Amino acid sequence: MLDVRDVRLSYGGVHAVNGVSLDVQEGEIVGLIGTNGAGKTSLFNVITGFTRGDAGTIRFLDNQIEGSSPAAIAASGMVRTFQTPIGFPKMTVLENMLVFSHKERSERRKLLGGARPDKALIADALEILAEFRLDGRADIWVQDLSAPEMKMLEFARAMMARPKLMLLDEPAAGVNPALMENLEGHIRSLRDRGVTFLVVDHNLRFISAVCERTYAMADGKVIADGPTSDVIADPEVIRLYIGTGPGEAAA
Amino acid sequence: MDGLLIFATSMVTLAAIYGMVCMALNLEAGVGPLWDLGIVGCFGVGGYAYVLLTADPAADYQSYLFGFGLPMWVGAIGAATAAGLAAWLISLPTLRLRKEYFLIVTLAFAEVIRQFYANEEWLTNGVAGIYGLDQPLKQQFAPGDYPYVLMALCLAGLAATWALTRQLSKSPFGRSIKALRENEALAITAGIEPTATSRRLYVTAGAITGFAGMFFVWYNTLIVPGQFDSDFTFFIWAALIIGGIGSQRGALVGAFVFILLHDSLRFVQVSGEMAVALTSLRTALVGLVLILILRFRPDGLFPERPDRMTKGSRHA
Repeated sequence: MLDVRDVRLSYGGVHAVNGVSLDVQEGEIVGLIGTNGAGKTSLFNVITGFTRGDAGTIRFLDNQIEGSSPAAIAASGMVRTFQTPIGFPKMTVLENMLVFSHKERSERRKLLGGARPDKALIADALEILAEFRLDGRADIWVQDLSAPEMKMLEFARAMMARPKLMLLDEPAAGVNPALMENLEGHIRSLRDRGVTFLVVDHNLRFISAVCERTYAMADGKVIADGPTSDVIADPEVIRLYIGTGPGEAAA
Repeated sequence: MDGLLIFATSMVTLAAIYGMVCMALNLEAGVGPLWDLGIVGCFGVGGYAYVLLTADPAADYQSYLFGFGLPMWVGAIGAATAAGLAAWLISLPTLRLRKEYFLIVTLAFAEVIRQFYANEEWLTNGVAGIYGLDQPLKQQFAPGDYPYVLMALCLAGLAATWALTRQLSKSPFGRSIKALRENEALAITAGIEPTATSRRLYVTAGAITGFAGMFFVWYNTLIVPGQFDSDFTFFIWAALIIGGIGSQRGALVGAFVFILLHDSLRFVQVSGEMAVALTSLRTALVGLVLILILRFRPDGLFPERPDRMTKGSRHA
């Protein structure tokens, strides 16, 4: 589904992404781990078109996408999330949903801005919101939601967009353990409905709970890949995360 | 008493014209992401386009181009089209810029356009302007009744602008510009192209503003470059901030409150000397109200409110 070949990106003399190749098959939940500065988010930005890479090819659903605009890539079915899930703060929860619907996507280019949402579309959105216990909050601004509610809304929005591939950028950052389990449940249930995932996170517990397969990055390169349990047991990965000897374990 | 009525009619007429521009500005800067400090540019282009299309050919003591003497409805379409076109041209370089820079460059463009009217005498008769312009339905009514007719026309224009901007801001397009205002990166992930969408918004708001320019010409029966300096842009911004940026009702109320503050002092009968003092006082009065609003009601008289859409469609 997603095939990344030898992607490179450098800022000045720093090679943020230095020849990374990875692939994601339909229906998988793939993890991408690495310490700060390993190049994970840079790679995400290149895949989703927010940053143009210096070299390499990216194929998504058999189309070459490097060089396409990020909006066009998103419209083709690849939706990413951001580290801070603030959404559209001064738009209602329901408006946040509608913006991501396919119906609005085709309407908004029309004369007079297109037709206003019909009852069926609003009902659809409310049904998805109900699944995330947000239906009672549909008419309030997102800035008035609690942090966990914003996190849930992020998944609800994604469901509204019906993406084929979701790229999650640190979904577990700043999330309490109870909410984390909830997130894991939602990721799995979305996968069962046909969404494929590529998940970036630091949190190895979270990654090993949801990802079957994982890539580990360091200094802009993939240093290990394979089943998640093998990757997090890889001596090189352990060294990066925990340090080399018992004396440095605190790092 | 009669004097007061005529004066009030004139103020409502002017407020209706300001209201149209306020709603156009609200669409681009309140609902949308474009902080446009050059709204007077499109207003003037609309006014001049209307005049050049509908005025009679230039007499020998004047020089301006065209003067086709075309019907007013052609002028109306021409005003909106010319302003939309001007907005499109301005958008080509400016929409590459981030918020603050966009603001500075649009301010500069509006000034360039004003210098253009002032200096290109062959086209616009320069600073001398063009006088004695026709007003619609003027012949059908007694001169004493005409101010009410003009007020009704401007209020009709205001109602049309209200309906159009409201439809636009509640449509899928309206939500896409609001999404760009709120979080551009996330809006992109919803498939919204920032530049193309902003350009469409800018051209639409420009065309509405140009259309309002036609009413301004009707109101004044003359057109001179001095009417289109950046003061007008700041007046519209002040009106919008007083009313409540991002709110349709705020844009409307803001225009009327602004005109009341700014122009009601004109009615006070005083000596010539006092009149000069009062003239400078009126800007100070607007400034004072603006400060009070920002201090005590920073979101304006009618702040933006959540757009509640579930009423009637709640299924559970």
